[in-house]
Amino acid sequence: MTEGSSTSFPVMKLPAEGTLRMIATFAAAFGIGVAAYIAIADSGGGAPVCLAGGSGCQTVANSTYSHLLGVNIAAFGIAGYVLLLVASLLRGDAARMGGFGLSLVGFGYSVYLTYLELFKIEAICQWCVASAILMAILFGLNAIRMVGYVGRPDER
Amino acid sequence: MSGKSSREARREERLQAESEGGREGRRKRLLQIGSAAAFLVVAAVLVMIVLSANHSSGGDTNLEDVGLVNRQLHGIPQNGMVLGDPQAKVKLIEFGDLKCPVCKGFSEEIIPDVIDSKVRSGEAKIEFRNYTIIDRESTPAGAAAVAAGEQGLAWSFIELFYRNQGLETSSYVTDEFLTAIARGASVPDIGKWNEARKSKLVLGLVRRTTEEAEKLGFTGTPSFAVTGPGTKGIEPLATPGSAGAIEEAIDGAR
Repeated sequence: MTEGSSTSFPVMKLPAEGTLRMIATFAAAFGIGVAAYIAIADSGGGAPVCLAGGSGCQTVANSTYSHLLGVNIAAFGIAGYVLLLVASLLRGDAARMGGFGLSLVGFGYSVYLTYLELFKIEAICQWCVASAILMAILFGLNAIRMVGYVGRPDER
Repeated sequence: MSGKSSREARREERLQAESEGGREGRRKRLLQIGSAAAFLVVAAVLVMIVLSANHSSGGDTNLEDVGLVNRQLHGIPQNGMVLGDPQAKVKLIEFGDLKCPVCKGFSEEIIPDVIDSKVRSGEAKIEFRNYTIIDRESTPAGAAAVAAGEQGLAWSFIELFYRNQGLETSSYVTDEFLTAIARGASVPDIGKWNEARKSKLVLGLVRRTTEEAEKLGFTGTPSFAVTGPGTKGIEPLATPGSAGAIEEAIDGAR
């Protein structure tokens, strides 16, 4: 266990960077799967199937908010998760800052999309919720990684 | 320890301290950048939400899904408020409110399946009856649908209205909005439609169907009833949870 203490920050016990990176790798891989499923379902002219029943996924998929500049937002999601996967696999400050920045943007956009689902589309897509949760987890992991380890030597 | 080695040790310590100081400085800068980025993203999300909240996603005159509604109803007869073969023995009656978001959900997710499985085949017809319970805009909206029905396009009007429905709590049922829906539904004589939707006859019909829904014991929209050779008059179904439940009720009424 590494201690993320410094003269400028209060002493606090943080998970080892390797552990954070490993969990982030799994979360990003799951995210790629979820986003890919949504994108594939949409590309076939359909919509993701809500596993718990209901038609929220179809309603969200058919809404005007499901596409950005003519591209399904799930495609942007795939790209984001792939980059987050790469950031979790790499060492160093560039990966720490990159992972934090990407997950921050991804999480911010997920919050916006969840707002749209609740208040504009008035339907909930379980796959979008799953993606939002994964993005929240990735943001948490990358935030801890950045705050705890940026500017510090890599673990050996 | 000799004086020389002591000096070297002190020098090493100083260099290490300087290196650690440089690292801490860099760390501080990176954390500042991270904090600034977090602040910017939070601000951007708030701006997007505020802009989105101020921009209506429905209830405006830039209609959506005109083509989709046309495709959905293509080739199915419309007479008054009834969709489907007038000779069909089973009639499904929907008591709905055009401002009701749940009715919109039914219109988009359940009714299309029923239309495809039962109405298009001529097994059943569907009649829309206004049950105005949301707010005072429900009546002019319902009357506009009845007036479109006088020109044989009630269902085109109703489906298009639902597809462009605004927020339940907002006031969007303006003359402009209703006219846009009527035009989108291809109501041929807008002047006649305009006159009809404000007539006592049409407004009275909207009031009567609302009273009828209450007499049947319905308390919410959409509520459904079925009538056919296999039923004793109008049999209320309340709000079925799926297209399958409606289809079953239609089969039972044959």
